[in-house]
Amino acid sequence: MTRLPVTVVGGYLGAGKTTLLNRLLADTQGRRLAVLVNDFGAVNIDAGLIANRDGETISLVNGCVCCSIGDNLGMTLYDLAERPDGPEHIVIEASGVADPARIAAYAGCHPSLGLDAIVVMADATTIRERARDKYVGDVVRQQLAAADLVLLSRTDLIDVAESHRVRDWIMAEVPGARVQDAPAMGRLAQILLVGTKAAEIDPSPGAHDSLFSSWHVGSALPLDGAALRSMLDALPPAVLRAKGIVQLAEAPGRRFVLQLVGRRWSLEPEPHREKLALVSRSEIVVIGLAGQLDPEAMQALFAPVLAACLSPAVEALLRSETRP
Amino acid sequence: MPGPITVFSARKIITMDAAVDEATHVAVRDGIIIEVGDLDDCAAWGPYTLDKRFDDGVLMPGFIESHAHLLEGLLWAKAEYAGPVDRRDPSGRLRKGINNVPDLVRRLKEIEATLEDGARPLVAWGIDPSLNDPIAPITRHDLDKVSSTRPIFLLHASCHIAYVNSATLTLANYAAVTAPGVQRDPSGEPTGELDELAAMMAAIKAVAADLVGGSTDPAQFYNFARVAQARGVTTIVDGGSGTYFEPAFLEAALAATAAEDFPARIVAHHNGITVPTAEAMIRFAAALEGKGNDKLSFQGLKIVLDGSNQGFTGRLRPPGYLASGANGLWNRGPEELRTLVPALHNAGLQIVAHCNADQAAELFIEAVAVAQAARPRFDHRHFIVHGQLLDESLMRRMAALGIHVTLFSNHLYYWGEFHRAHTFGAFRAGAMNPAATALRLGLVAAAHSDTPVSPVDPLLTLWCAANRVTASGRVLGPRERVGVHDALRMMTFNAAWLLHRDHEVGSIRVGKRADFAALAQDPLAIDPMALRDIEVLGTVVGGRVFGARA
Ligand SMILES: [Zn+2]
Repeated sequence: MTRLPVTVVGGYLGAGKTTLLNRLLADTQGRRLAVLVNDFGAVNIDAGLIANRDGETISLVNGCVCCSIGDNLGMTLYDLAERPDGPEHIVIEASGVADPARIAAYAGCHPSLGLDAIVVMADATTIRERARDKYVGDVVRQQLAAADLVLLSRTDLIDVAESHRVRDWIMAEVPGARVQDAPAMGRLAQILLVGTKAAEIDPSPGAHDSLFSSWHVGSALPLDGAALRSMLDALPPAVLRAKGIVQLAEAPGRRFVLQLVGRRWSLEPEPHREKLALVSRSEIVVIGLAGQLDPEAMQALFAPVLAACLSPAVEALLRSETRP
Repeated sequence: MPGPITVFSARKIITMDAAVDEATHVAVRDGIIIEVGDLDDCAAWGPYTLDKRFDDGVLMPGFIESHAHLLEGLLWAKAEYAGPVDRRDPSGRLRKGINNVPDLVRRLKEIEATLEDGARPLVAWGIDPSLNDPIAPITRHDLDKVSSTRPIFLLHASCHIAYVNSATLTLANYAAVTAPGVQRDPSGEPTGELDELAAMMAAIKAVAADLVGGSTDPAQFYNFARVAQARGVTTIVDGGSGTYFEPAFLEAALAATAAEDFPARIVAHHNGITVPTAEAMIRFAAALEGKGNDKLSFQGLKIVLDGSNQGFTGRLRPPGYLASGANGLWNRGPEELRTLVPALHNAGLQIVAHCNADQAAELFIEAVAVAQAARPRFDHRHFIVHGQLLDESLMRRMAALGIHVTLFSNHLYYWGEFHRAHTFGAFRAGAMNPAATALRLGLVAAAHSDTPVSPVDPLLTLWCAANRVTASGRVLGPRERVGVHDALRMMTFNAAWLLHRDHEVGSIRVGKRADFAALAQDPLAIDPMALRDIEVLGTVVGGRVFGARA
């Protein structure tokens, strides 16, 4: 069983959550999305996209639905998860004052749901001032701390130096934060969707459009689990997503599913085997924005994961096999 | 053609009227008080029937519960009470609190034995291990002793936690539920404790689905009113997220309350909790205008700013919660409040604002100040619900802006020690629910139970306001104790005023509705510490007697 992925989009009022949701609905990467919002009024769904409106649910011609959360997020999510022809990916818009981590708890409310990522939008022009506000300062800082990926909006309204100051401030507030500029939002929106299907563990670089670059590593031998875990914690901010199916030296005969978004990653035993071309290999695909992933740096990072169980000769062979 | 006159006699009538204190007889015609005095005064209106059933008792204006939730009525209808606090059920029977896990297991076994259908879940409510002695967690192992096959679901008094047995965990497939609130033992197995709705959801859906999702069961209305009636209440607020704007729910509410024998009046707030926008709130409120009946009316629009103090989700001003310095959760943020409050204010609505801790109150006051500056309104009667950490400065601003309050005085007794030790610390626990200062500053202050959070019992609530004694006997903030007369007024006239019903109820005065509470003792003549033990002999609602022998 693959869990139905749930993405939480948080951030304070005016940070750009709605823009992000609209981008997602406009280009769903071929998925049936369910987008859960607090208030329909805020999402301006193109009238041409609307197939049908029924109370709390708007159905779109591309197979997606947009639901108003109403008074019970748990109930709304639960019902979506139970639908026989339900969505392939759920995106929840957290309210501007909500702690996205609390909302993310709902991603585990049904046995078939699983949290994919918490993405928090931050308005680069106001975030630092907000963080000092007596009513919401702690809320804003809590939102950033909950983020797997912080998307900075409105960086086009400030100069580069100021943009760097904002990033540095976020990094100081939340050590290890993954911060990306959101003017590239059209692209960034897609990274939330790309790679959530198990079948998409596809090592060919052309699998993603030119907006992203991917880097792949494969191994016929089991990986060093401890080295893999510490490597996942040390990935550069340019890595937006990674996914993989791996065998670990510590657990022979079992396979593990790797999922990573920003600084959230999980490595869980594969519930049951899925159809895959490369049955016995470990395969990891790393995705970042085009031009941002440095293949050599990635190879250096992955070296210890492979080295522990490989002879230098095999390693050399494997290196030649990996591609940027 | 005026109807017949009934004269009720009593040892003493405490009118709570500003001008005339006391009487011995009250004459009622067509549900309205036509005279208050002695028997001769009443006889001046012509022939009457003398009703002497309360002859030995003391008549008061019926008590008014200014903040409660209909949910209690639904819980009595759908689940078994098994909490640590004494409660009266809708039949009037006192359910003694169960204060430890072995007794809880024993009680659940008794209930289990009465359930015939083996698949039917055992659902109970009101649980709160923090009030147990000793304080011990409730686990699936405890509940498995009750049954290993029948699903069991216990709802915490806060409604934020559930305890379930292994049968429920299996039925709802908790092996695959990843919500972080699913408590797990060191081996990774669920302990049976489910914290917060996200973790409870699968169990609710599997075994307790009828507790959520807008039931139209008529029993909920009757139970809600009946439990309150048994303790002298004649008007009770449904201050929650009721969906009266949905035709099926409204129809059920109207049908239930229209019955002759419906035992209390319900004043329901409009829903500003689950309705997202000011525009929708105003539209729904307008649609309900004039839709009520004699025992169901709509007044005030309820909005929620923060969470609960015992749940550490109230919004505090610095230094925040004791020791951690943490702060709670906003339900609606400052930007939203600064537009929502003026919009509701300008629409002529009365705003009823849940502000549990002081920062939430401060924000609401600020938002009302914005609204008042732009468009002053007199006598709007916006009021704060809970206001547990209000101080003199906030209350002076409230007085200036015309904001009033219903305090959560029951907290002093039930959670006073908890707040002192875990949430507020000594000073703020002593300053909680400052009724004396509120009254001194001229606020119209009432107090409430917030049932099902704490039991509806105005005599207990006014006992709390008058004595400020915790469950372990400590007096918290003696200067904030109010006199008994003031305490009685909080639960009668003041509450009526907050609900815009003081022209009809809240005191025994000629021209008002004949809504009375009959007490076995005179609250003004006994030790204030004995107030909560006063027996209620019955009530009168619109001249009709409830809960007392003829
Ligand atoms: Zn309440």
